[in-house]
Amino acid sequence: MEANETSVPMKIVVAVLFLFLLAPVILVVPISFSGEQILSFPPESWSLRWYAALADNPKMISAFWTSLMLGAIVTLISLAVAIPAAYVIVRMRTMGSTFLYNLFTAPLLLPTIVLGLAILIVFASIGFLGTFTGLVIGHLVITLPYALRVLATTLGNLNLSCEEAASTLGGRPLTVFRRVTLPMMAPGIVAATALCFLVSFDEVVITLFLTGPRLTTLPVELFHHVESRADPLVASVSVLLILLTLAVVMIVDRTVGLSKTFVK
Amino acid sequence: MTAIAAPSVPAMPRLALGRTGTATLLLLPIAIINAIGFILPVLNLARMSFNEALAGGGVREAFTLANWTGLFGDTFYVELIVNSITVSLGITLATLVVSYPIALYLHRSSGRWRTFLTVLVISPLLTSAVVRTYGWIALLADQGPIVSTIAAMGFSPPRLMFNTTGVIIGLTEILMPYMILSLLAGFGRLDPRVEEAAMTLGAPPARTFWRVILPLTLPGIALGCLLCFVLAVSSFITPKLLGGGRVFLLATEIYDQAIVTLNWPLAATLSMLVLIIFGAALAAYARVLRAID
Amino acid sequence: MMHQTIRSGSPTLSDDRDAHLRLDGLTKRYGDSVAVAALDLAVPKGELVALLGPSGCGKTTTLRMVAGLIKPTDGRIVVASQDITQVPTYRRDMGLVFQSYALFPHMTVAKNVAFGLEMRSLPKPEIERRVKEALAMVRLEALAERKPRELSGGQQQRVALARALVIRPSILLLDEPLSNLDAKLRDEMRNEIRDIQQSLGITAVFVTHDQVEALSMCDKVVVMRGGKLEQMGTPVEVYEHPATPFVASFVGRTNRLEGIAQGDGRVAIGSMAVQVPGRPGGKVEIMIRPHRMKLVDVGSGEDAASEGVNRLAGSLTRVTFVGDLLQYHVDVDGTEIVVEAASDHGRGFRKVGAPVAVLWRVEDTMVFGRGA
Repeated sequence: MEANETSVPMKIVVAVLFLFLLAPVILVVPISFSGEQILSFPPESWSLRWYAALADNPKMISAFWTSLMLGAIVTLISLAVAIPAAYVIVRMRTMGSTFLYNLFTAPLLLPTIVLGLAILIVFASIGFLGTFTGLVIGHLVITLPYALRVLATTLGNLNLSCEEAASTLGGRPLTVFRRVTLPMMAPGIVAATALCFLVSFDEVVITLFLTGPRLTTLPVELFHHVESRADPLVASVSVLLILLTLAVVMIVDRTVGLSKTFVK
Repeated sequence: MTAIAAPSVPAMPRLALGRTGTATLLLLPIAIINAIGFILPVLNLARMSFNEALAGGGVREAFTLANWTGLFGDTFYVELIVNSITVSLGITLATLVVSYPIALYLHRSSGRWRTFLTVLVISPLLTSAVVRTYGWIALLADQGPIVSTIAAMGFSPPRLMFNTTGVIIGLTEILMPYMILSLLAGFGRLDPRVEEAAMTLGAPPARTFWRVILPLTLPGIALGCLLCFVLAVSSFITPKLLGGGRVFLLATEIYDQAIVTLNWPLAATLSMLVLIIFGAALAAYARVLRAID
Repeated sequence: MMHQTIRSGSPTLSDDRDAHLRLDGLTKRYGDSVAVAALDLAVPKGELVALLGPSGCGKTTTLRMVAGLIKPTDGRIVVASQDITQVPTYRRDMGLVFQSYALFPHMTVAKNVAFGLEMRSLPKPEIERRVKEALAMVRLEALAERKPRELSGGQQQRVALARALVIRPSILLLDEPLSNLDAKLRDEMRNEIRDIQQSLGITAVFVTHDQVEALSMCDKVVVMRGGKLEQMGTPVEVYEHPATPFVASFVGRTNRLEGIAQGDGRVAIGSMAVQVPGRPGGKVEIMIRPHRMKLVDVGSGEDAASEGVNRLAGSLTRVTFVGDLLQYHVDVDGTEIVVEAASDHGRGFRKVGAPVAVLWRVEDTMVFGRGA
């Protein structure tokens, strides 16, 4: 805003604070090219040895594939479950729509440490711990509320008369949904897809409670690695993770626009 | 379009299910996942906090307040709780101080520049907390750039890691995006013309800030503080990694009791305590909001 | 209550055997509030009928019930002698044009128009041929491959019309189709819709709150208020012989006076008296259209009372120039009367405050009883 020219000292303060905000994320990039044995910054020598070490680390690689599979499956199920739910809650307006919406998004209000423990105790008794099924359900508990929120908002903003027009033109309810409602929801579906995948792929706390010695996800593996030793391996993984996130975000930005998706 | 359909008018004559049936069927999957992944576990957790813990990780069905009384009778836990709350309050305040200028600047910027800065603010949110904490470990390490710089300036090198200082620094940065976005959401009422009006009435910048800008942004501040406080109280990854096992907070203790000591009733009790603190924070927030209006 | 020498046509035509669309006691209640109250209506084949009324009068609810988008609480909807009350929207064969056009944003113009034909599983060449035809009818062949957002409001409106007509619906329903267009375009589209409707000979129901639209386009006008039918008739009947004071004031502008009828064709208004048609008695409302009145200077040559002409004296309080009209505001015993005259190159202004007289023919006086 021209009217409120920010003063130079203020600009410097803002720049420093931005640096503070972004420093840890930016820092992992140079560290990943470190030639040192241990974590240090700035590194005294540069190399690609930690990327090579990553390629030779079967645990990390298998954890990565687990996370990728998990993220994909959780995202697919989230969409398959949340789209009909959003449709019923927004369009069919049965009794207690608001109540159901609040109930189904309530898991987001709980801290993950509490939710993780709660799920751990129940899953221990039904043998879900350390299983892929257990992880999928555990992740769905937090991805579904996000998906429902995004999809319900999208659906609520759609012009109902398009669907009505389609039905006057002879479209049966299911056809109208498939040919009109669903395509018009596309931006919301893209956003929900990205959000679900990122949330699942990044989830640590709940997953920590649910993984077992044989089955672990990448963030959990990273957590244990950082907990036990300080070497630049995590940095090289982080760089790859950041690139992956960037790719997802760019896809979303290209299709629907970023600020629409994440800022409300 | 509400549920006033006349009884004689079937909504979908061709579908045997009818309207309510279809709705129920479509909601069933989300209801099942919600039930077994949320409702059941949370109720069970509340129940667990009244069970009796046995040595070696066993649990006996009971209805005892022993976990609760034990918690407040043990100085370690009282200290842990007080410490968690004070550290979280400190983190909230620090986050507010470092986030406010960014939010204000963002609120005043426009166009592509604003979009770009917004992306910068959001991008850490999309980066794993493990990765960001790892970055802080590199920065705050004893041989790290910050400690070395301070030492090079002739001061005695401070310890910034594996203690509360490190946890506060790390969490402050981690929670910044939440604070900035909350502040921005609350800045809606802040019209630049109001500032101009104050200035044309002869208020110098500092007084404009205290008398006009700050009061108008109080709702955003309250929201951001609520969010950051509850996130700080329940945060686990950063205290665990940056605290190096030497910083005891509620969330790390819940994890240790659940995974290491295998005392589920105690872990459950601590979890309920976190929820109670959440409730108290929410009540405080509601009071503050009412006071502002 | 109603006093008119010429009846405004029977208010309901539900016994009309030629009716293509018939509503029998159609009712919609939301909880305690009644949106449409036992509406009877008959629309003859090939006619364009307007449902006219202020917002909340139930006209749109009625239209949506005909389309099947709202389930009636009670009553029947009959099309071509078949009761369709229970038939779901998608099997009703109605072409509905929405106020917001409701074009499918993700489909091209051609795909939008083809949608209804695809729902009917017509062979591809047939679909293509009819889409072309329909687009030619609304003069949009050139824009077939555009997306709706690339079109102007008027063009979108035409696509919506083509999409509704291409399925050869048994009834065309139009829900305030012109209210999102600017004034000039609205006039154009009015004629275009009327021409198309007449050339296809299709039965159509047109919902509007704009009396000009209703009067200028439609064969019949149905005036609604509070969910009830106030009057149905041709535009001329509704305008010239309104059945109720509400119709008189909603369709066209009116001046309103209250008085006591003497039973001999005279009505006392304060200290003055006027002649009215017929011989009503008791408290009455008198209405006169502003353009049927004439303003004269008191004592001038034109100010001569004659047989069959009413005269009220007052003083001129304001003159408003609205381009093609001059509006004189006259204070008659504390009641404001507006007289309209064609403005002639801005001539005809008079001095405010001057004593004037208002003249009108007795036959132009509308009288309504006010109850006891």
